Amino acid sequence: MKKLPLHSRILIGMCLGILWGLLASNFGWVDFTIDWIKPFGSIFVNLLKLVAVPLVLVTIILGISSLSDLAKLTRIGTQTLVLFFSISLICAVIGLLFAASLQPGKYLSAEKRDEIKLKYADDVGSRMGVAEMVKDAGPLQIIEDLVPGNIFFASQDNRNMLQVIFFAILFGLGIVLSPKEKVQGVISFFDGVNEVILKMVNIIMKYAPIGVFALIGALIVDMAGNNPADALAILKVLGIFALVFIAALLAVMFGLYPILVRSFTRFKYLEFLRALVPAQLLAFSTSSSAATLPITLECTEKNLKVREEIAGFVLPLGITINMHGTAVHQAVSAVFIAQAFGHDLTLTQYAIVAFTSVLASMGAPAVPGAGIIMQLMVLGAIGVEAEGLALILAVDRPLDMLRTIPNVVGDALVASIIDKREMEQ
Amino acid sequence: MSKLKAIPLHTKILIGLVLGLVYGMVSIQMGWSAEFTVDYIKPVGTIFVRSLKMIAVPLILASLIIGVANIGDISKLSRMGGKTLGIFLITTIIATSLGLFLVNTIKPGKKLPMETRESLMMLYNSTAESKASVAAQIKDSTPLQPLVDMVPENIVQSATDNGSMLQVVFFAIICGIALLQVPKNKGATVIAFFDGLNEIIIKIVDYIMIVAPYGVFALIASLIVEIAGDSPEKAWELLKALLWYSMTVLAGLLLMMTVVYPILLKLFSKIKYKDFFKGMRPAMLLGFSTSSSSATLPVTMERVEKHLGVSEEVSSFVLPLGATINMNGTSLYQGVAAIFIAQALDLNLTIAQQIMIVLTATLAAVGSAGVPGAGMVMLVIVLESVGIPTAGIALIVAPDRILDMVRTMVNLTGDAAVAVVVASTEGELDPDLTRDNILTQTPS
Repeated sequence: MKKLPLHSRILIGMCLGILWGLLASNFGWVDFTIDWIKPFGSIFVNLLKLVAVPLVLVTIILGISSLSDLAKLTRIGTQTLVLFFSISLICAVIGLLFAASLQPGKYLSAEKRDEIKLKYADDVGSRMGVAEMVKDAGPLQIIEDLVPGNIFFASQDNRNMLQVIFFAILFGLGIVLSPKEKVQGVISFFDGVNEVILKMVNIIMKYAPIGVFALIGALIVDMAGNNPADALAILKVLGIFALVFIAALLAVMFGLYPILVRSFTRFKYLEFLRALVPAQLLAFSTSSSAATLPITLECTEKNLKVREEIAGFVLPLGITINMHGTAVHQAVSAVFIAQAFGHDLTLTQYAIVAFTSVLASMGAPAVPGAGIIMQLMVLGAIGVEAEGLALILAVDRPLDMLRTIPNVVGDALVASIIDKREMEQ
Repeated sequence: MSKLKAIPLHTKILIGLVLGLVYGMVSIQMGWSAEFTVDYIKPVGTIFVRSLKMIAVPLILASLIIGVANIGDISKLSRMGGKTLGIFLITTIIATSLGLFLVNTIKPGKKLPMETRESLMMLYNSTAESKASVAAQIKDSTPLQPLVDMVPENIVQSATDNGSMLQVVFFAIICGIALLQVPKNKGATVIAFFDGLNEIIIKIVDYIMIVAPYGVFALIASLIVEIAGDSPEKAWELLKALLWYSMTVLAGLLLMMTVVYPILLKLFSKIKYKDFFKGMRPAMLLGFSTSSSSATLPVTMERVEKHLGVSEEVSSFVLPLGATINMNGTSLYQGVAAIFIAQALDLNLTIAQQIMIVLTATLAAVGSAGVPGAGMVMLVIVLESVGIPTAGIALIVAPDRILDMVRTMVNLTGDAAVAVVVASTEGELDPDLTRDNILTQTPS
């Protein structure tokens, strides 16, 4: 068991999880699975999230402070943001193209639509409250929210990752501009913390196969419930939507990424993907890019040989503001909902969807399910009924797992591109 | 760009201030829609205030731990050190209390009409709920409750809440004292860490101050636009209240100069106040124009040694220390500003809360030693500690620059007075020198 590489062990855990999930839902071991297996999955995800805030803080601080040169930092910073934005925009456009040409919403009959709407009305309602707050806010609220009112308070909640990042960047800049001998104590402290966290991650990852097994097993049981027929019925109705979304994701993963990897990095695409296998598996099973961050960092630094200061800056930033999968999802589902409600979108509205999708993907925190709330923002921008959210809630969980993969791979991609550009400098 | 950089920060802030006023007034007169200002200008101010809040707790933690560790060394070094710190503490407390007394008697915030105060309250969401909770606290609190509240149950939790500033202060002081008693080789890493942390945080405050001119512009502009709505009279009322506020601060500062320091000198030294004042005049003028006690320090030292007859030993110890931790004018101003904002927002502060202001203002003065732009960060700390909405800082930024000049003058006069008192009680004062110099000195 020890000799197998990590990703094989995770893969085995995953397969066993699927097997268990199918068996459990067929033989009615549902309660047992939820009581005695699911917790191990939650423990695993919590373990990973536990290190997220300190890891983000420390990697960014160390990443920036080792740059030592402000011009370089500004260059990398702007490049990173430009790449994040433009690639996300391309992804949203890809999503739009698929949704607009395949028209998944037209396959949904009005009765089915209302049936689902009714069923998920409560779920939507609970999310509306949050969305209201988003709506009321001024256009610059997103920037205002970048700045924490209290950094300790911000670090209490993984959803405030952007605020922690903001503070970490300022702090790193402070280190760069202070005399070296004065701040040596701080640097070596954070260096030590970094080492410790990485070791913690190593320990946590030993447990990964079991965690993944529990996560996947419980997920299948959850979805099927005691009544697999029900799950199948929903899948049949929303299947087309899911398929269109998956097709768009595949287009990103195997159309867009290979081109970018070949033209702007020093890897072959397969080589690149293989290096990131553990991160992708983990992204899929936890559906959280924050939880995956430690492994993404390790894969990018060890397997792709991206320099530490670049990975340490780009990846933590990427987990919250570079979400290619989420951008695709926002675009596809907005169009899907609009179609289902019989709206014909104009070209301007498509453009609005593309941009708001990117903004929503950038503003969405790196925790599972946050994208759904941001979806309301996109829908609001083109005047589509917010209740339409119900349509995509039903299948959101598995799609969330899928879209987390490009979210994570996209971060590594940007880091590799910048690494190569910096090398040429 | 390089030209812009050449303008000193406080001039830039002043420019931002004036432009903000002009923008606000023009916007009202022309009847521009408030929406643009609220959507696109106000956020800049909000960001500025939020970043000040962001840095408050880390600043207090790092600088107080280091500050206490260093001051502890000083007071251990000599009897003089202890005495100096004691007098600093007493004058600071007197200054803050004087400020509180004045602002509670004059009530400049109540000069605003009820209606304006209500809309201010709405604006800065100082909700009825916070009032209610204060009322509930008073009901079942014992006289020593503020003391009990000073001790945090969980330091991380206190650090997450800007309102628990005093608890953080308490922890930092204990931590600093503990560090003093730890053997040097064991505590060295921790001290080096906090030293570096302090350095970095000061750098971050520098960055925040770069935004200050824009922040001040946005704060003033949006304040005027939102309060006045479409009637310019309201804006004038606001300015009138600000005038009252400024007069209150100035009155307090004047009292420090003409009553408190003379009494102090009379009680503990033989120097006549007239001579003291004459000897110090150049330093005071310089302080007034630079509004920086550290920049004025060389002149202050020269004056105190050569013209007041304080021995070099005393002056070179008391004055540099005083320039960083003894800020009588600033403390007085903190008290007045905090209560003024509370009055303008119709918040009634209890005696306990006012005592808390005195304590926080005094300790924050020690904490933010030598931080540029410290005045504003300190005020944020004081406001947060008693739960006055920090956004209310917008009310008082307008006259801040001018008041800053005057309060710097008081700061360094206070330092000099303390130096004289210490020297005189230690027998290090040479009265003849004073006489001679005053007599031969040409009036400048």
